[in-house]
Amino acid sequence: MGAVQLSGLRKFYGALEVIKGVDLAVNAGELVVFVGPSGCGKSTLLRMIAGLEDVDYGRIDIAGKDVTEAPPAQRGVAMVFQNYALYPHMTAYDNLAYGLRRAGLARDAVDQRVKETAALLQITELLPRKPKAMSGGQRQRVAIGRAIVRKPEVFLFDEPLSNLDAALRVEMRSQIARLHQELAATMIFVTHDQVEAMTLADRIVVLNAGRVEQIGTPREVYHRPANLFVAGFIGSPAMNLLPASLGAGGVTLASGPVLGGPTGTGAAVTLGVRPDRLSLAPPEAAHLSGAAKLIEHLGDETILHLHLDDGAALTLKLAGDVAVTLGARVHARIDMTGACLFGADGRALRPLPAP
Amino acid sequence: MSKQRKATPRARLAMLTYHALMLAISAIFLLPFYWMTISAFKTNAEIFSDPVTWLPDPIRWENVTSLLTRDDFPFVQQFLNSVFYAGTVALLVCLSCSLAAYSFGCLRWRGRNLVFGLTICALLMPTIVTFLPVYLAWSKIGLTGSYWPLITPFLFGDAFFIFMLRQFFMGVPRELLDAARLDGASEFRIWWQIVMPQLRTPLIIVGLFATVYTWNEFFMPLIYLQDREAFPLSVGLFTFQSQRAVEWSVSMMGAFLTALPMIVLFLFTQRLFQRGLSSTGLK
Repeated sequence: MGAVQLSGLRKFYGALEVIKGVDLAVNAGELVVFVGPSGCGKSTLLRMIAGLEDVDYGRIDIAGKDVTEAPPAQRGVAMVFQNYALYPHMTAYDNLAYGLRRAGLARDAVDQRVKETAALLQITELLPRKPKAMSGGQRQRVAIGRAIVRKPEVFLFDEPLSNLDAALRVEMRSQIARLHQELAATMIFVTHDQVEAMTLADRIVVLNAGRVEQIGTPREVYHRPANLFVAGFIGSPAMNLLPASLGAGGVTLASGPVLGGPTGTGAAVTLGVRPDRLSLAPPEAAHLSGAAKLIEHLGDETILHLHLDDGAALTLKLAGDVAVTLGARVHARIDMTGACLFGADGRALRPLPAP
Repeated sequence: MSKQRKATPRARLAMLTYHALMLAISAIFLLPFYWMTISAFKTNAEIFSDPVTWLPDPIRWENVTSLLTRDDFPFVQQFLNSVFYAGTVALLVCLSCSLAAYSFGCLRWRGRNLVFGLTICALLMPTIVTFLPVYLAWSKIGLTGSYWPLITPFLFGDAFFIFMLRQFFMGVPRELLDAARLDGASEFRIWWQIVMPQLRTPLIIVGLFATVYTWNEFFMPLIYLQDREAFPLSVGLFTFQSQRAVEWSVSMMGAFLTALPMIVLFLFTQRLFQRGLSSTGLK
């Protein structure tokens, strides 16, 4: 399995720069997930690695070889698409065999490889069927088989689970994780689903407007977002971002309360607090107060959306089924454990020490 | 609910008027064809009888044998010529136009839209404008009097069919082409092995259009062909009618048998037109 090295990649569509200088090293056997909002360039970047989009500037190395100008089939990559992209007029067997035949493998070798792969993915009974006679999950398994059968250096997944229903998505996710371990394969996975990113990734690459905002393990990206964009993007519900300053007594909210922690001389900062770090409190112990404008009862937890007195929004994630009525006045207290601070430029200052 | 469904007298009247109008318009279009059909099975005297007989009585089947055995109208030979001409053009149109449509609809290359625009411009150019220089060119290389000038141009596509097929090619999911590229298929192979099988219905439709168009084509064969044995039916029938103007029943039988294959073809392929694009989806 090969490593992937992207160096200074840039891509233009006419005058519009869609990939703005991406540097990234994916280690051999690693599963890296690209996440980002729609139009951030994650799929374009994946297609550039696959050779399906031209590179305007920069270089791509796969398994130590410069493949920037190489055609897709000679890069040692295989790709799984969101809409499966199985050849509709061919059986699953022929779909798997097509690439091997193009590579000039002998009939016996093709047959053996297809059957081995089908056994690995438990799709042997699907081999004589055409895609239209399969369910979505079966088609995606065949599509993954088509990638595996070629024994590529790198697997590329372009939102492969988006078309599946929730239950099937969980099943396929664990199957991909299992394959990653069994094959010790290098995988690059594009998704906009954060749960997929957090559960599958060895490392997450957060992209925004053609730039890499942060590269890190899921825990790093979640607990130590590098900037306001990542803080707001990773985690659901999103991190609360509150205007504050660093005063003599520590972090001081714009609305008045002093929360402690690092001190300063009044520099403006943004305080990032995860919704689960907020709790209900009596008025005298509360840091923030507001009216409940939306309550989501999820059974084991309650998501409470507040409209604060100063007009800002605040989200609380509370354990259990909390009885709050819509429009009721709610008081919240911030637990500074794991809170983040961002400077005026939007970059993270440092992780706060536990109080 | 049932009350609401009942048409009001006013709506019923509107519906009746609408259908009456449609039937009248259909009759106007069908009448010449009906006249040709019944005349094909009458004698000359019966065709012009007064009052008009709307059904041939008796049906003159001998008109068929009389047409097929004439020395001055080699119907069977001309029928085979038409089959060859229309069939070859349909095949060439499907191949050459789909190749061009693949390039315009599935590939990205600099100047693609400009070249496509120029191709469409060819639609605006009347044949009559170019036929003289083109005829002279064929004449110089000594190939007039054969089917070469009639068939060869379709090796290079036809603007209308390229335009028509491009719409279908644009509907082929991009990922399907990408998957084939990753599998190591060349663009030519992707066109032939991946895209063409998806577009069987549009290709048949284009083939049918080309067949009908060529079957009825009159001007080009008239210009290029001189020998009666080489004429397709369109020209053969015209020549016969202009030379034997009084033999209406044989002439009508010729016209009927010329139109019949196309009508039968359409009766059997109607559903293809209705099916349209729906068969190209992946999901």
